[in-house]
Amino acid sequence: MPNQNGSVYGLTILSPILDDEKASPSHDLQIRLYLSTLPTGANSPFAKSPGTHLCRLVVMDDVVYVGAPSIEEHLQSKYLVFECNLDATGEEGLEAYLRGLAEHMPDHLDAIWSHCVGYPGAADVQAFIRYMKACQVETTFFFAAVNNKSVTESLRALQTQRAVADFIASSQGMEASRLQAKFVEFAAKLKAEPLPKPGSMGPKRDIKLGGRNE
Amino acid sequence: MSNINGKVYAMNAITPMKPWKSWVLRVIFFALGEFPALQQDLINLSFIEFARWVSVPRRKFPYLAHGQAKEDLRYDYLLFFSNFNGTWNQYIDAFSAVLASGLNLIWRWSEKFPGSMPVTLFKEYIARVQFDTDYYYTAYPHATANDLKSAHVVQASFESLSAQAGNYTPEEFAEAFLGFVLQVQAHLGETGEAPVVF
Repeated sequence: MPNQNGSVYGLTILSPILDDEKASPSHDLQIRLYLSTLPTGANSPFAKSPGTHLCRLVVMDDVVYVGAPSIEEHLQSKYLVFECNLDATGEEGLEAYLRGLAEHMPDHLDAIWSHCVGYPGAADVQAFIRYMKACQVETTFFFAAVNNKSVTESLRALQTQRAVADFIASSQGMEASRLQAKFVEFAAKLKAEPLPKPGSMGPKRDIKLGGRNE
Repeated sequence: MSNINGKVYAMNAITPMKPWKSWVLRVIFFALGEFPALQQDLINLSFIEFARWVSVPRRKFPYLAHGQAKEDLRYDYLLFFSNFNGTWNQYIDAFSAVLASGLNLIWRWSEKFPGSMPVTLFKEYIARVQFDTDYYYTAYPHATANDLKSAHVVQASFESLSAQAGNYTPEEFAEAFLGFVLQVQAHLGETGEAPVVF
């Protein structure tokens, strides 16, 4: 199934945007205005909804005319494109993810998708899932650099990588029994540490100066 | 507009294809999916986190009634979405240099595709068919695709050592720790704020 690559699912949704001459500003502009105010870091609604690696929302105004001798044509609707790389296996996994979105960010979903044709609202979760699947287009080819790790596992690994680098730097030349005791203590402490928040830049680190270009 | 979040760039592109050509492309993608060895060049471009091609037939754009006008198109459309590290220019240059034949195989079915070499015409074409991202989220904006791969190597080695650490004598542990350092030393690159890119 081309939507799937390992344990990662490539969701592509094209939701037709309402075309109402009386709407001012137009519905596509209202979507863009709302998206421009939505946080993209640790406070992003997608950070609160589990399982999102990367996602984007794009208003697709029209198809592109690439020049003669091709034919110039235009879409009847503008589309809201939702491209999402998420932890899920198969259709059940996708439905669980969509249910998670409806539960964790219903207000944002309504604010964005209420400008789209036929959107039923996130309050009726089953209707919401049906709607999203009706707007889904199948991914033809999906590539994932890391296709067997969840968001949680990746955040944990990045946290470990950073901590291990610091530990190695601080333990150089240490006597064997002390090194062992320190490592056991370090490993226990690291395992107990809370996971970094999805979407965050991680702990602030000092900028290292003195590079070749400075 | 926000094509960039931390160390990742979101690219969107759409190109028209004659309907019979889109079937040829489907066969090519099917072969790519069935024979992962053919994806090696894509894997070698280690700055791509996720990428996808979506071929939308002219009559398969989502139609939900409720007064929505039906699409009346002559072309099928190929959508391309990529999440990559680095700048637009670096990405297109590397794509053209490393994947020229692969890209030609995928996009030669699109109207007016000039070929991925020479790169100047290729860039002009991509710039024409690209459209900007309105909202972009990543769970790990401070990390690149290579950082992620390395972090998982470190995590696996770390788990293996920490599971045994208490059972070793100090001398055995020192040796195991040295082996661990040798295993992970090439995978400890620093993550953090992204550089300013243009």
